[in-house]
Amino acid sequence: MALKQTTCFLLLLLAAAAPPEPAGLWTGPMDGPVPATLAGATVLPTPLAAKIFISRHHALPIDVSALPKKPPNMAPGMIWLPASHQDIPGSAWLPGAGRASLAPDRAKAFLDAVARLTRNDHARFIVVYCHPNCWGSWNAAKRLVQAGYAHVAWYSGGIEGWAAADYPLQRTEPVAY
Amino acid sequence: MRTLAFVAVLACILTAPVARAEEDEAARAKRWHELAHLIFNGPQPVNLPGWITIDAPTRALDAALVPVTLTVADNRQVKSLYLVVDENPSPVAAHILFGPAADPHTITMRIRVDQYTDLHAVVETQDGRLISTARFIKAAGGCSAPGSEAPELALKSAGKMKLRFSNQPGAAHAELLIKHPNFNGMQMDQATRFYTPARYIKSIDVAYNGQRVFHLDADISMASDPAIGFGFKSDGTGTLAVQAEDTAHATWHQDFPIQPHGT
Repeated sequence: MALKQTTCFLLLLLAAAAPPEPAGLWTGPMDGPVPATLAGATVLPTPLAAKIFISRHHALPIDVSALPKKPPNMAPGMIWLPASHQDIPGSAWLPGAGRASLAPDRAKAFLDAVARLTRNDHARFIVVYCHPNCWGSWNAAKRLVQAGYAHVAWYSGGIEGWAAADYPLQRTEPVAY
Repeated sequence: MRTLAFVAVLACILTAPVARAEEDEAARAKRWHELAHLIFNGPQPVNLPGWITIDAPTRALDAALVPVTLTVADNRQVKSLYLVVDENPSPVAAHILFGPAADPHTITMRIRVDQYTDLHAVVETQDGRLISTARFIKAAGGCSAPGSEAPELALKSAGKMKLRFSNQPGAAHAELLIKHPNFNGMQMDQATRFYTPARYIKSIDVAYNGQRVFHLDADISMASDPAIGFGFKSDGTGTLAVQAEDTAHATWHQDFPIQPHGT
């Protein structure tokens, strides 16, 4: 009960802090408050909504989380060995596909990869996500809407939201694009 | 025919999660195998029950602040302890080397957890054996979670210490808290939108009346404001001396007199 109230409160807080939707891709900092809307796409604000959407529509989940990167000025001799990435089962992991600064050929390569994954079916249901407060997933979803995919959804809770709901995670390797 | 289809569907439903769980277990074992070879040169830890237990919430409320308690069955045989968060990119949360004034029965600390993971605790015995145990916990996002204060503010109070102890002769237990944001280099500054550079406590030394209780090596899997609970062999008087150093080579030292009636 307390958890439910906290969740409701957090959702309200998020909605209150949500900035308006940009007309095109977001070119500001990639980590920060995200809008509550995405024109041309369905917004899935909770893990439950994402789970229902995926199973009802056999949707393809696309994870655009960045690859792990070793931070500078770590203590010498410390062990740095990122584990295999965990995300929503059935996902294709296309790291960094939501960066606004993606070169045109890379942005095209992303769309080509999604075309391969959907077998060129623009009516295929797709759910794009990364982390909470992650513009990357918003931008990647926007790219798919602009490319003519008719059933794009954006799940704003990200992997952490999914994990907080105690849903299973898969281990995965990045899809080359 | 219909029954057959039904059985087939049922079999798929029943076996799929089992297969996935087995697959995941194999992946976790492989990860630990790789890590252990990086951490321990030479003989590898052996998983034996009854030596050490890990207590931690199965589902952590806050992935950036997961409480862990390590309990050792026979404290006389313990030379050092390791706590490893397998799925974190920098997995060795702590290595604790005990000294003559230690009572290494129970150690508590708080860690960051990046994704669903096994925790491994490894005991190094006085005669050089390595004995491990594991526990699976669920939490995600603890490494990139921003701190509760603005970075420059958090660094201002870094190094402030508190010590609480229950002072029963022979079996004293103390809780040490050191203020420090423990920046891991993966946290976004909420104001500037840049990553806050890594700066974290890398070692803590505690001595009782001049004798070592423990030396602890930490890295970025330790939560901000490191809180370490430990036992020491007290005769009811004297001083606990604490020394901490971070990766920017800042050091802090504080002496805590032990009150006869405990405070």
